[in-house]
Amino acid sequence: MNWEEKIERLAARAQAEQTPRVDVTQNVLHILLSGQAQPLTAAERLWMWLAAAASAVAVPAAACAFILYTRSAGPLNEIVEAISWAVH
Amino acid sequence: MEAALAQWVRARADSTPVPYRGMPADSGAVDWDDVRLTRQGEPEAYRRLIERHQDSVARILWRFSRDRGVHEELVQDVFVEAYLSLRGYNGKAPLDHWLARIATRVGYRYWKEKARRKRTEPFDLEEWDEAVGDGQATALEPDSAAELLHQILAQMAPRDRLVLTLRYLEQCDVVETARRTGWTKTMVKVQTLRARNRLRKLIEQSGAELIQ
Repeated sequence: MNWEEKIERLAARAQAEQTPRVDVTQNVLHILLSGQAQPLTAAERLWMWLAAAASAVAVPAAACAFILYTRSAGPLNEIVEAISWAVH
Repeated sequence: MEAALAQWVRARADSTPVPYRGMPADSGAVDWDDVRLTRQGEPEAYRRLIERHQDSVARILWRFSRDRGVHEELVQDVFVEAYLSLRGYNGKAPLDHWLARIATRVGYRYWKEKARRKRTEPFDLEEWDEAVGDGQATALEPDSAAELLHQILAQMAPRDRLVLTLRYLEQCDVVETARRTGWTKTMVKVQTLRARNRLRKLIEQSGAELIQ
């Protein structure tokens, strides 16, 4: 018998186990009725989607901005150096 | 605009569900009625839903924690989470399946938090080899077998443990595991293969003479 057959036998035996009974009805209703957990309102959902969409746009935009900046940094420096006499 | 959006969400949420294949004439319809009443703010309807489904949810979560206090808290979390996302339930699948998915997510999250907090106690695998020697597994009491298997799988990373628990204890095939975890079928297959290899290595490293 290999290791997996042993595990499978063990699992088959374990499946016959009785699960302890729980009754969470009162606790759950208490949490919900006392307002400790509230579903999102339509407005909150809308804001959530807007935030997600804004993040989805912001990340590629930041990446593009960084690439553009690194590409144009060289020519910009040259221009600054060329007119540096004006600063002095 | 907000009011119109809220009205639209409500209208969609309260519409009659498309019956799923094999939908029982009574239980599915009863569940759906209670879901609708709960959405309309009727706590008694949610009480009935909890009473009908807490045993099946508890059975799933017993695979995730065998500590009675933690187990009860996890069952509670599932029903709070289910209530908060009840608008997302469209009645196309049995409520039991939907709750099983939430239960799996809650249990997995618990394992991940636990793994971050502390390492599990090392477990002597030779002990299990003795206990599950040829033909001895069937002689074990079911709760001892479950405890032993729980301890073995607790040595694995949460992701590996999840696929192995669903495979061995919940008897889930690839499709069912994908449905419960929200992973793709390919991901489930790959994850299962890796988890099985890691479990085999773990057993081999323990020095237990398992390959007979």
